[in-house]
Amino acid sequence: MSVRFLLDGEIVEITDVDPTSTILNYLRYRLRRTGTKEGCAEGDCGACTVLLGELDEGAETMRWRSVNACILFLPMLDGKALLTVESLAVDGKLNPLQACMAENGSSQCGFCTPGFVMSLYGRTIGASGHDLPVADVVAGNLCRCTGYGPILAAGDGIGKLSRDDQPTMVALREMAETACAGGVFEDRRWFAPRTPEALAGLLAAHPDARIIAGATDVGLWVTKGLKTIETMVFIGNVAGMKAIVEDEAGVTLGAGVPYADAHAAFSRLHPDLGELVRRIGGLQVRNAGTIGGNIANGSPIGDGPPALIALGAELTLCSTAGRRTMPLENFFLDYGRQDRQPGEYVESLWIPRPAPQDIIHISKLSRRFDSDISAVCGAFALTVENGLIVRARIAFGGMAATPCRASGCEAALVGKPFAAETIASGTIALAGDFSPITDVRGTATYRAEVAANLLWRLWYRAQGEDISVLALESSHG
Amino acid sequence: MKFDQPATLNPIDRGRVIGIAHDRIDGPAKVTGTAPYAYERHDVAPNAAYGWIVGSAIAKGSISAIDTRAAEAAPGVFAVVTHENAGPLGKGEMNTAHLLGGPRIEHFDQALALVVAGTLEQARDAARLVRIDYAREEGQFELAAEKDKAVKPPVSWGTQPDSAAGDFDAGFASAAVKIDRTYTTPDHSHAMMEPHASTAAWLGGRLTLWTSNQMIAWAVKELALTLKMKPEDIHVMSPYIGGGFGSKLFLRADAVLAALGARAAGRPVKVAIARPQIPNNTTHRPATIQRIRIGADKNGVIDAIGHEVWSGDLPGGGIESAAMQTRLLYGGKNRMTAHRLAVLDLPEGNAMRAPGEAVGLLALEVAMDELAEKCGVDPVELRIRNDVQYDPEVGPKRPFSSRKLIECLRQGADRFGWSKRNPKPGQVRDGHWLVGMGVAAAFRNNIASKSGARVSVDGKGQVTVETDMTDIGTGSYTIIAQTAAEMLGVAMEAVTVRLGDSKYPVSAGSGGQWGGNSSTAGVYAACMVLRGILAQKAGFNAEDAEFEDGMIKAAGKAIPLKQAAGRDGASAEDKIEFGDLSKRYAQATFGAHFCEVGVDMHTGETRVRRMGGAFAAGRILNPKAARSQVIGAMAMGVGAALMEELTVDTRFGYFVNHDMAEYQVPVHADIPEQDVLFVDELDDKSSPMKAKGVGELGICGAGAAVANAIYNACGVRIRDYPLTLDKVIRSLPAA
Repeated sequence: MSVRFLLDGEIVEITDVDPTSTILNYLRYRLRRTGTKEGCAEGDCGACTVLLGELDEGAETMRWRSVNACILFLPMLDGKALLTVESLAVDGKLNPLQACMAENGSSQCGFCTPGFVMSLYGRTIGASGHDLPVADVVAGNLCRCTGYGPILAAGDGIGKLSRDDQPTMVALREMAETACAGGVFEDRRWFAPRTPEALAGLLAAHPDARIIAGATDVGLWVTKGLKTIETMVFIGNVAGMKAIVEDEAGVTLGAGVPYADAHAAFSRLHPDLGELVRRIGGLQVRNAGTIGGNIANGSPIGDGPPALIALGAELTLCSTAGRRTMPLENFFLDYGRQDRQPGEYVESLWIPRPAPQDIIHISKLSRRFDSDISAVCGAFALTVENGLIVRARIAFGGMAATPCRASGCEAALVGKPFAAETIASGTIALAGDFSPITDVRGTATYRAEVAANLLWRLWYRAQGEDISVLALESSHG
Repeated sequence: MKFDQPATLNPIDRGRVIGIAHDRIDGPAKVTGTAPYAYERHDVAPNAAYGWIVGSAIAKGSISAIDTRAAEAAPGVFAVVTHENAGPLGKGEMNTAHLLGGPRIEHFDQALALVVAGTLEQARDAARLVRIDYAREEGQFELAAEKDKAVKPPVSWGTQPDSAAGDFDAGFASAAVKIDRTYTTPDHSHAMMEPHASTAAWLGGRLTLWTSNQMIAWAVKELALTLKMKPEDIHVMSPYIGGGFGSKLFLRADAVLAALGARAAGRPVKVAIARPQIPNNTTHRPATIQRIRIGADKNGVIDAIGHEVWSGDLPGGGIESAAMQTRLLYGGKNRMTAHRLAVLDLPEGNAMRAPGEAVGLLALEVAMDELAEKCGVDPVELRIRNDVQYDPEVGPKRPFSSRKLIECLRQGADRFGWSKRNPKPGQVRDGHWLVGMGVAAAFRNNIASKSGARVSVDGKGQVTVETDMTDIGTGSYTIIAQTAAEMLGVAMEAVTVRLGDSKYPVSAGSGGQWGGNSSTAGVYAACMVLRGILAQKAGFNAEDAEFEDGMIKAAGKAIPLKQAAGRDGASAEDKIEFGDLSKRYAQATFGAHFCEVGVDMHTGETRVRRMGGAFAAGRILNPKAARSQVIGAMAMGVGAALMEELTVDTRFGYFVNHDMAEYQVPVHADIPEQDVLFVDELDDKSSPMKAKGVGELGICGAGAAVANAIYNACGVRIRDYPLTLDKVIRSLPAA
């Protein structure tokens, strides 16, 4: 079986696919398209940013996404369109965005530049995340030379660029009919199922298979951890896994929904959740990384789970034996151990819509403001009726071996008046909920203290204080 | 051309091309991704194999056995290079540890083997099959623990470790106001975007190396020493470099191993040091412990100033010269500085952007802030009061060539709105933010270094400049083109610049902010010779000839440049050599950083809200490129203040956070709008260009301005960098 994708309008076919070869290495060393750079090989720097295009559900429209080519595996290219920095200039004539960047001095050593070009180009053609400010679109691109200002200026200085995607869509529809279902490479097997039934069947037959959605984590196991993965199931093409259903009761998300696609729906659930998503990775990571993957890998410092637990999310797992649904917090058993049985996969997540009177507060604390792992991520959802806290769901990341609830703190709050004294007693109870560790992201003392302060932050905000972390209004000049 | 007298009026002073903001001429190649970097030379080495480095898993000891058979038998493997089969190797003079280790192991992740295979994946996979048995030895990994064993190092790079003037002890003892503080800075990683990379090819006994290196001539020399070859048999090219910041000043393992791998495999080989290998395999800026003592009168006028620095390195390594600026920045008749060096078995310490000053000012400029507060003097005013127009260790007989620190402080303060600062910490609130402002002086030595170039005009009037100077993102291509265009009176479009090739005349190279001024002065020298040749060809007296609009003009006549050059063209090569002006005059660049931060009262998060700076660095050759250099360096200063830190595992002796996820450099959200003002200055004693270095000045003091702003915001004085949120909150007053 061969993987086929569209590059600058031409179909490229790869036979004998090494399933953990990265798109970046294929571009640079096979196709000799070396404009796309490797800065870190782990999705941190964005120098390898390319645009991937795929048909939306129903195949009537398509969408481009900026992604980090360094941690995407070749099978993930199948049936998609790819644009690299070489795709932009025609006959040596700079694309208007490139010209704008050259004029703005957006490039110094030039090594990060192609990545910035592709992130910004995506914004000009309406790619995923195009409605974000320029700064957010390039939050996943590191530059060590420019101080960023000249790059942001170029992004702000360029408008929308037209792009005729009709021929691309025609080609994508044709390729969809002959999608690659998998292959074998040097005893390593990989599958790319198209239906939930096929996925469940594959997992029943290969319960040890590694499920790969966006590869923003698993990609590093290969490029950095140098691990060999024997059996892989790529779930990016499973029908229905990317569905988002919003109604009055809440939001249901397929496990394969990338964070970028869920961003708007999350913001509608609560602005804090939207702000949190904005700070999960860079746009390239959110374009690839999925809700289901972020949950299923069980990281104690994943940013999604604490907020989703506080909001009362429920997780549905599926296998040939059927479905089961559980409160999200029950999924996380211990460090690196989740309640996923052999043959099961994470199918969907349901998040109830908060009531208007609910007091919700979500804070991510990290050394730097973007593209960083949280020292502490705290999420609070209080329901207050007639001045009394009748329900409290509080969850933290970075405080324990799993994302988990602060049950002592919750108990200290429920049934008490929403008042400063109650908050104070809540912080005392909170101290008994966790024994955080000291690491490079923060000391145990810091984590404990700031966790309590986040509860205070919720209180001050409820009193009308603005607590935006990234507000930049200057008090002077 | 010998430059040993101050420059007089010269063609550069016309300022028609020089001094004008010009877009980078390499910009289009970079925004299209077509600029070829060292790992991408498929055009010249289409069949290159891939090398993967196996690094040491211990910090100190030796290899007791190394078994490469499984790796050699793995699919696609052409060769495995180790100390056992590499043949006799020498060592360069500029790297401390051997670039291919074994049997001795000098630091963690020191290269011990290179696996060469047909694809990157094959090489990487086979690298895991190299089995190494180690005999591990105890090592010293903690600077603080070794501090008391540190010794006075020998003179290195012309730097005396100690200096003194007057009687520091007596002056300090009798001072009315005293500051005695100790500051620490951690190990820093350059974190340039392009990993070290080389492609090597052999033709007979001759080696061609496409690499990423700031100093071409050094690379040739060091490679010759390492491979025991004649320098003339080595051809090094490095036309595009994806950032350096000092990491690529010296020969590194990628170059040596690519050459060895190519010889072993019998085909060209390329080697990149993988990002997670870089911090431990290559160099870093060493950590420092710095004690600063300042004695002043009650008005803050300094009488005694002392700066002692402790740093560590491998045996045979060098100091982090963090007290250097303290010898020159402020007055005071009683003075001392001292550097002490401890032996540490960590990876090799070496130069990173503004070695010495970058971390020295993180300490000194906070100490000045502490002095200002203690004396009740405004920090800007305090620095003005202590300005000195001559080398304070020598006296008025060694004046500064030019020094505009006061102008930088005053003009910078005005632009920033410094007068609105409340001197009392913790007074300004903006919601949950505690808001404060800080200032720090910027200082970086100006070094000028011999630099050559060859300049040609062809029969069409096209000018070509060739020099082994490098452009590491600094804008060398552009300022060199500007220099030639100015000197020969042609348009920028008529100039082609070729850099980074050991076949070209040897230049100053890029480092220590000496490259811009020195290399353009070298082009100036070659152009002066060429002007003489062209004038003579045109029948003019060289002194009378004007070069403008593509013409040579004299005595009322004008002849096109191309006509004077003739069908065969004309060419000249020369170099600038610097005399003793830098001894007779202290030469340095100056500036003032201003910063406003918000500190979150609940979380200790620091947000830099505004930065501004005023800088004096002689003639600014290209204001656009210079501004880029300065703001990028300011951003790096913010990194040093708030987040950058290589964390040492003191049990096993390596840097734990050896990748871009965990060694954090600022993202754009950390960097606010940056305002830059260049104070007018021409330095006639620096070079015929009357320019000075500017590439490193921006990092010098920037982090201290952040630290001082944090103190002004919340009253928390942290003396151990970086100033992370956990350190801030520890001392925050209760909300």
